Amino acid sequence: MKSGTTSRSLIPPQRKFFGLTAGLILVALLAVFPFVVSNRFYIRLLNEMFIYGLLAMSLDVLLGFTGLLSFMHTSYLGIAAYIAGLVLKHGPQKSLWLALLVGVLATQVIAVPVGWVQVRTGGLPFALLTLAFGMMYFTVVWKWYGVTGGDDGLMGIPQPDLSLFGWVLGNSGNPVLTYLFTLFIVVICFLVTYRIIRSPFGAVLESIRENEERAAFIGINVRRYKLLGWTLACLLASVAGVLFILYKGYIGPTTMDPFAGAAVLMMVLLGGMGSLWGAFIGAGLFIFMQDYISTMTEHWEIFVGLIVVLLVIFLPRGFAGLVDRLRNGEKG
Amino acid sequence: MTGIFSSGIDIVLNSLVLGGVFLIIAIGLNIIYGLSRIMNLAHGSLYALGAYFGFSLVSLKINYLLALLIAPLIVGLVGLIIERVVIAPVRSRPIVYTLILTYGLMFFLDGIIKYFWGKETRFVELPAFLKQTISVAGFHYPAFRLATLLIIAAVMIGLMLLLGKTKIGMTMRAASQIPEMVSVLGINMTVVHISAFVLGCILAGIAGVLAAPLFTVYPIMGHQVLISSFVVIVIGGLGSLRGAVFAALLIGAVQTLAEFFITDFAMVVVYMLMALILVFMPRGLFGEGKFE
Repeated sequence: MKSGTTSRSLIPPQRKFFGLTAGLILVALLAVFPFVVSNRFYIRLLNEMFIYGLLAMSLDVLLGFTGLLSFMHTSYLGIAAYIAGLVLKHGPQKSLWLALLVGVLATQVIAVPVGWVQVRTGGLPFALLTLAFGMMYFTVVWKWYGVTGGDDGLMGIPQPDLSLFGWVLGNSGNPVLTYLFTLFIVVICFLVTYRIIRSPFGAVLESIRENEERAAFIGINVRRYKLLGWTLACLLASVAGVLFILYKGYIGPTTMDPFAGAAVLMMVLLGGMGSLWGAFIGAGLFIFMQDYISTMTEHWEIFVGLIVVLLVIFLPRGFAGLVDRLRNGEKG
Repeated sequence: MTGIFSSGIDIVLNSLVLGGVFLIIAIGLNIIYGLSRIMNLAHGSLYALGAYFGFSLVSLKINYLLALLIAPLIVGLVGLIIERVVIAPVRSRPIVYTLILTYGLMFFLDGIIKYFWGKETRFVELPAFLKQTISVAGFHYPAFRLATLLIIAAVMIGLMLLLGKTKIGMTMRAASQIPEMVSVLGINMTVVHISAFVLGCILAGIAGVLAAPLFTVYPIMGHQVLISSFVVIVIGGLGSLRGAVFAALLIGAVQTLAEFFITDFAMVVVYMLMALILVFMPRGLFGEGKFE
């Protein structure tokens, strides 16, 4: 793992200040964006980037910080989206917060026991286990017509009202409102995750990534911390899932298939592992590439594939690695 | 009564053929992983590529059996180019990188397939003598499935001879155990890596051409097969030939049974089995596999 991740070091105050300012300006710009550009297509595209950015960040917690590879992290986005969709469809009231709460908690009821089994292994067996469980979820969702709608997906999900602390903002059918709400939740999730990762807990996760055996020798309960890292990643993914159902109003099994799962992996790599913010850049780049190239040519897969291959060969630390390199003015 | 028997024969034949296809792909993956520590996610696309080359050769009025020889070699050539251009520069990186690299490669190959052959489903015409059914004791056996089984058996025997009796085969086996030692003995490891990758690609090509008349040819035909081959590798134990044979037959049977009877969740059982084996028997059913 060593070669691929940014090392944990003390961040000099001026750089911290720079990062904070850049982040604030970026969030402010994004918040103003829907009022300047009224084209709904771009608003929805950015909205999707936020959601997948959150998902990619959650995978980064697992991969870039804990050193565990999950092939099928979209599974947990999918499960949360299905549960939240079912709550909105059949629940007693079309409440957003109820859907969010049930969606996130019910996903953990599935994710934590699975994680408890998975952390008994590491490396490639762990990755293959995520594939096995992910395929299990995919098959169940795909075949269980009565509940999930099978390959048609879950349709006719009502749009709930968006509210904050009892203050109703409007209906989520309005793309600008959904956009702002998504941005708000994603920024909160990022700040909380950043705080957690920069705490001693994050340092323990990184020690497991660097050398599991040594971490165990100094008295760290490796399995417990791996499970905690996994749970954090699944919590964030399930929040992304609820945001997804809010944004799309639909969830189908293809969102959870192994190829969607690997796409998230690609987003993390594009952005650079172990930087958290890089995941958002990676998700943005990936969705932009997929969307932009697919409007230009029918054969977008060739270009997306080529770009990924070139990136892995020439820019293995992704966008974050490039920024680090430019900043420090050193090679590799 | 005959109806039940003949559908029983169908089930057995189909599961053997399906298992055989999984087996050839899984062994290719095993060989590449064993020598290069690369889990090749593009393997399903190489299988599809083999099927498409087979389709094109047969539409050029070339005999199917001849196509079965030529198409895998072309896939092997593609594999050689892939190995030299993209795999070699990243071989020493952590497995995450090679996984993502070969995933990108899969996209690229899928795109190339759609570019040259389009999205439509293609059908491969079999020669007349393979299309007939052979009747023995009142039961009908489709000749092509029997021929496929014979070819798969021949491929397996050839592979065992190659790995067991030839110099390059022995070098490959030794290199999968202790690569440093083989390297110290003055053997060019680059050649070993290339041969392993090309051999894996040729096997994927053979599986593709064999599968083309059976399951029809379409751009994403490799995706499901790739996942099933992973299951085969895990259940059999990574690097274990005996385990792979057993697991391939098992998965072939389960998948065929799932198609015949409406057991939608049969594959869930397979994935459950895969998870159980990974946790409790990470070396596979026979305990012969090895993980790095």
